[in-house]
Amino acid sequence: MSKILVVADHKSGSLKDSTKELLGFASGLGTEVNAVVIGSGVSAAADEAAGQGAATVYVADDASLEVYTTALYTGLVVDAVQQSGATQVWLTSTEIGRDLTPRVAARLDVGALSDVTKLEVNGDDITAYRPCMATKLIQQVRFKHDGVRVLSIRAGSFEVIENAPTSANVVSLFLPEADSRLEALGVEVEESNEISLNEAPIVVSVGRGAGGPDGCESVRPLAQQMGAAFGASRAVCDAGWLPHKHQVGQTGTQVKPNLYIALGISGAIQHLAGMSGSKTIVAVNKDPDAPIFKVADYGIVGDLFKAVPVMQEEVNKLKT
Amino acid sequence: MQIIVPIKQVPDVALNIKVKDGEIVQEGISWVISSWDETALEAALQLTEEAGGEVTVLSIGTAKVQEALRKALALGAHQALHIQCDSSAGWDSYQVAKVLAKTLADQDYNLIITGKQAQDSDAGLTPTMLAEFLGLPQVTNITAFKDVSDASITLHRKGDDGIEISKMTLPGVVTVNDSLAEPRLASMRGIMMAKKKPMETVDIHSLGLAPEVLQSGGLMTEVVQYEKPDERKEGRRFEGDETETVPEVMQNLKKNIGLFA
Ligand SMILES: Cc1cc2nc3c(=O)[nH]c(=O)nc-3n(C[C@H](O)[C@H](O)[C@H](O)COP(=O)(O)OP(=O)(O)OC[C@H]3O[C@@H](n4cnc5c(N)ncnc54)[C@H](O)[C@@H]3O)c2cc1C
Ligand SMILES: Nc1ncnc2c1ncn2[C@@H]1O[C@H](COP(=O)(O)O)[C@@H](O)[C@H]1O
Repeated sequence: MSKILVVADHKSGSLKDSTKELLGFASGLGTEVNAVVIGSGVSAAADEAAGQGAATVYVADDASLEVYTTALYTGLVVDAVQQSGATQVWLTSTEIGRDLTPRVAARLDVGALSDVTKLEVNGDDITAYRPCMATKLIQQVRFKHDGVRVLSIRAGSFEVIENAPTSANVVSLFLPEADSRLEALGVEVEESNEISLNEAPIVVSVGRGAGGPDGCESVRPLAQQMGAAFGASRAVCDAGWLPHKHQVGQTGTQVKPNLYIALGISGAIQHLAGMSGSKTIVAVNKDPDAPIFKVADYGIVGDLFKAVPVMQEEVNKLKT
Repeated sequence: MQIIVPIKQVPDVALNIKVKDGEIVQEGISWVISSWDETALEAALQLTEEAGGEVTVLSIGTAKVQEALRKALALGAHQALHIQCDSSAGWDSYQVAKVLAKTLADQDYNLIITGKQAQDSDAGLTPTMLAEFLGLPQVTNITAFKDVSDASITLHRKGDDGIEISKMTLPGVVTVNDSLAEPRLASMRGIMMAKKKPMETVDIHSLGLAPEVLQSGGLMTEVVQYEKPDERKEGRRFEGDETETVPEVMQNLKKNIGLFA
């Protein structure tokens, strides 16, 4: 019998949409689904996981788990795999998921599939699809071994189905020993209370065409007005015009919003690798030959400094 | 400080990659060092320039990967190790990590630095599997190094909510984000000197690995086939005055995707 364990990703005490997607999709398969929630102050997230379909929620709740560390999280996930008898472990392709997925697989002495964007599941028979070669190709991949199937799945691969939390059937996990060779010194949280790129329905991004930090800032109000996350090309982040957490692309965040607006971005393959899965793309660029137009549904050949104020006016009109 | 940089030779993804009958067309591929591995090498070179020591580059593959190793020597690596095999076609990250772990089991080093993922597989699995097999601590997606010594290093990692800072007691494994450093270009002098630098070749069969580890087509996972993604078709172009084109596009968004409807 196949059994799926979803490793929950959460923020400020509640489940991220990326995890809700996994729980929703897994529940729809008619397989037993459990979840593991690791962190500090996560009981509400555990109840949310239960509401989203997790039969049992394995919980590790401790101040030492506030900041992610590979050793503790690996030990806890593997413990939950063993206690639940999971035949599949599903993680999200966040930075935590990227770090944790291979370590968990290696501890279980099996292979792993990372950054999956589409899944066909029949019991433990899984065919997965994942972008490779800077998203120039899609690989169709399968597991060859009999052991636990470990995979990480990119946000936006499935629909989010919202369900009300219910009281979780909790199994508490014991803390494994920390790895004294790695000492956490702190986290520099970059400007908060912004909409995060990962899950935003709209993303407004700026490129080198914005000309400098002031140019970037002149676009920010549009993003705010649209309830959009504020993204950027690597050129913008490398120049220090915006912090790196805004970077969209192969090395930055991979986004799949309903609407992506690219302002003064040329459309290099590494940028496209992070946003060409968006449902609708609007591009504004002065250069009619900019490669971004090849992927844009609406390509505006023009100056972003002229286009942005008009867009703001139009958004105002649409909203009223 | 002794640093090991495992490098992977990959098709240049900036060029066109063709697929025929589910397989990548080999003809016309230009082979390069995976770009994140170039960043890893750059980071290693900077660390040894600062703290002293040597960089060893290592690659598993056919005789062809010696080109990549030679290039790394030209960039400044001190020595190269080539693990020679007949074909590593279709190998999965698990296998590569097993071979690397066996190769490095009785080597002396302070740090293993790799790219965060290879530019062909985009998997990002090998380094962390390697860390587990060697029983070493790991930190992935590094954007900066601080307080470097042979015994420990402070690392800045780009996490989900900001920069996570930690101190690692060495030896350990780290993977780099490409914002860490801009890879240098090889100089004429570097290319000349590379010819005299040591490159050792070891036959993979002499490492004492279980035979199945060298199985082609993947040990734990296999690629069934490659496909071209659904090509996005270029939509409509709007040229002219922004006060006209922008409202037209916004009306389209309202009508077609229900923006703020
Ligand atoms: C290993 C690797 C990983 C990478 N990862 C990423 C990544 O994750 N994300 C990423 O974005 N890049 C990434 N890159 C970099 C990428 O190759 C490009 O260099 C980068 O995306 C270019 O950014 P840009 O489009 O803002 O700048 P440019 O290419 O300089 O383009 C600027 C554009 O703005 C237009 N423009 C100028 N003025 C105006 C104006 N007033 N109005 C309208 N348009 C204007 C120009 O016509 C031009 O098309 C990576 C590169 C490598 C090698
Ligand atoms: N054949 C190889 N030889 C040496 N190192 C490799 C090889 N394949 C992968 N690696 C290392 O593992 C990293 C990640 O590979 P991957 O898991 O395929 O994304 C690469 O950046 C290299 O540092």
